[in-house]
Amino acid sequence: MPPDAALPLAGIRVVDLGWLTAGAASSTLLLDLGAEVVKVEGPGALDPFRNWDGADPDTDWWNRSPAYGFTNRGKQSVCLDLKHPRGREVLLRLLAGADVLIENYRRGVLAQWGLGVEDLRRRFPRLIIASVSSQGEDGPDRDMVSFGSTLEATGGLAALTGAGEAPVITGRDVNYPDQVVCLFAAGAVLAALLERDRTGEGAHLDLSQRELTSFLLGEELIAAAAGTPSPRHGNADPADPAERVVPDGAGGWRAEWSGGSAPVRDGMALAAAEDFASGTAVLRSPDGRPAKGIPFRLSRRPLSVREACHGLGADNRAVLRATGLAEEEIAGLEEAGLLATGPRKPRRD
Amino acid sequence: MVAPLAGKRVLDLGAFCAQRPHGLAAAMAARLCAAYGAEVVRPLPAGGEPLATQPPLLPGGGSALDRFLNAGKRRGPTSGRFDMAIGDSGALEAQADAVPIRARISVFGPGDDPPMSELGLLALSGLLGIVGEAGGPPARLAGHQVAYAAGLAACTGLLAALRAGGEEVVDVSLFDVTAWLNWKVAAGVLVLGAAPTRGNARNNWHTMPASDGHVALVFQDKDWPALRNMLGDERLQAPRFATAAGRAEHRPEFLSVITPWFTARSRAEITAAAQARRIPIGPVLAPVELLRDPQNQARGFLAPDGTPGLPLSWNGARIQPEAADAA
Repeated sequence: MPPDAALPLAGIRVVDLGWLTAGAASSTLLLDLGAEVVKVEGPGALDPFRNWDGADPDTDWWNRSPAYGFTNRGKQSVCLDLKHPRGREVLLRLLAGADVLIENYRRGVLAQWGLGVEDLRRRFPRLIIASVSSQGEDGPDRDMVSFGSTLEATGGLAALTGAGEAPVITGRDVNYPDQVVCLFAAGAVLAALLERDRTGEGAHLDLSQRELTSFLLGEELIAAAAGTPSPRHGNADPADPAERVVPDGAGGWRAEWSGGSAPVRDGMALAAAEDFASGTAVLRSPDGRPAKGIPFRLSRRPLSVREACHGLGADNRAVLRATGLAEEEIAGLEEAGLLATGPRKPRRD
Repeated sequence: MVAPLAGKRVLDLGAFCAQRPHGLAAAMAARLCAAYGAEVVRPLPAGGEPLATQPPLLPGGGSALDRFLNAGKRRGPTSGRFDMAIGDSGALEAQADAVPIRARISVFGPGDDPPMSELGLLALSGLLGIVGEAGGPPARLAGHQVAYAAGLAACTGLLAALRAGGEEVVDVSLFDVTAWLNWKVAAGVLVLGAAPTRGNARNNWHTMPASDGHVALVFQDKDWPALRNMLGDERLQAPRFATAAGRAEHRPEFLSVITPWFTARSRAEITAAAQARRIPIGPVLAPVELLRDPQNQARGFLAPDGTPGLPLSWNGARIQPEAADAA
């Protein structure tokens, strides 16, 4: 289905090397705004979301992971071995026709493959490269291994969060920095597209999730620099003494504030709520499956989930053909196992 | 100079929003526009800047919240041509009717705007209920995460509308954004039939006390052998600790075995030992520690007064600091 010409990113082509949420859901937001997104994974390097809860290991599990499908619905899928020079040549052909590259690989991986940012910028001066990483491209902690919740600790959020004695991290069911970075990264790519419209130049965007976590506590950093202590307020709000979280008498909790109160919903209550069903946080793919929603509405250009999830490598041939590769070259890549529709090791870890 | 919004004028109606979450979200969206090079005008009501009395307050007077959110903006009237405006429905109708692109902040969506707080939004979206220690109360995320996330979404929507051209209303629901962030809980119910709950056995990440504070104990199953070796306690070889489910089932015993190793060491020692084994453990750092953090210093992230730059390096450099300042 061709992208809707009326949408803001109609005609923009994105190559998505994003994994899990931070990279992949940033690309999804660009897709929802009308871009064409080609997700590239390798037969030996699938997005880890494919090997997640809820996919029966005795099946083609890589096409059945709910978390993967939820996040990546509507993207074209190419399964190409980027660890092999021939695979990387194909990626370069793809990038030649692309406007945006999004990646959240471990720092140094692309450079190791000869696809370092400086090389890519030289080859493709109009390309916008968005690198989403834990710590950023440089600095003494560049190679520090972190998940989202690690960054809550190192970014200042955990120290100020928690209703009890200990600082609290959100854990693997939220990994807050991985979620919130998508809202910012998609905006940064849009800003870079506007800048390219203005100057003709592409850009490299170095997005540190740890910095974003700290930025979202900016007032606390300014206060700390001025010598104001940073106490952990728990569930209280110094601006509204009536704010608190109290037991609801039925085994649950209730949030109260000046002039109002609300139940502390669990997932079941959220999923059953009318305000959730009529909102945009979770939408449906055309095949009826729940899909990652869109965090805003445009009144003149309705946004929607336009396509269901494609199978791994389902678009190999069409995408490679569009880069100008001949049929026999494509067949050669398939025969060599560099272009695939399943993982090289079909057994799950 | 990088300035994607150079020449664009943005009207920040945050000070006229009827509710606090809306006002904070609008102020954040406008602040991002300022950082991207727009000229942002923030008119004030007769009572003055509502953020000026909001905590955290500064020892020398004034508000850190005001200083953070209004960096790079200037005060001024709503007269003149604007390209974009940000506010709630009332403020936009009253003061930005002729502005072609408007971001409209609401609780649940256009026209569905009951009285609400950020705490209430965390509660309704499930993001309050999922966070907190096992067996403990729900824990709200510190600061203004609900409003700021909505501000990030509003800015992204505005940039999209600007690129598309013409008129547009970008509707940002504070509730939708918060529930969108909390998708694993919602999707758990809808696609797997069960939602993760606070302190569930699978969610075995939490903070641990160290000799000088806390660290975040974050690891995957594949990291367990390396973590066990790092802790070096023979008791951890027991089969009941070999899996995440087993460690959850025997959680009090597990914690009693591992806690002394952590409390005997500093955050830096623990982090160095873990990182050498590629285990994603890190120190819990307070805001005052972030000011002199070597990573932040090396990347030029914070100004001397603690004001963070836009968390984005563009071709290896920060976007130039803003010229104006309404704070």
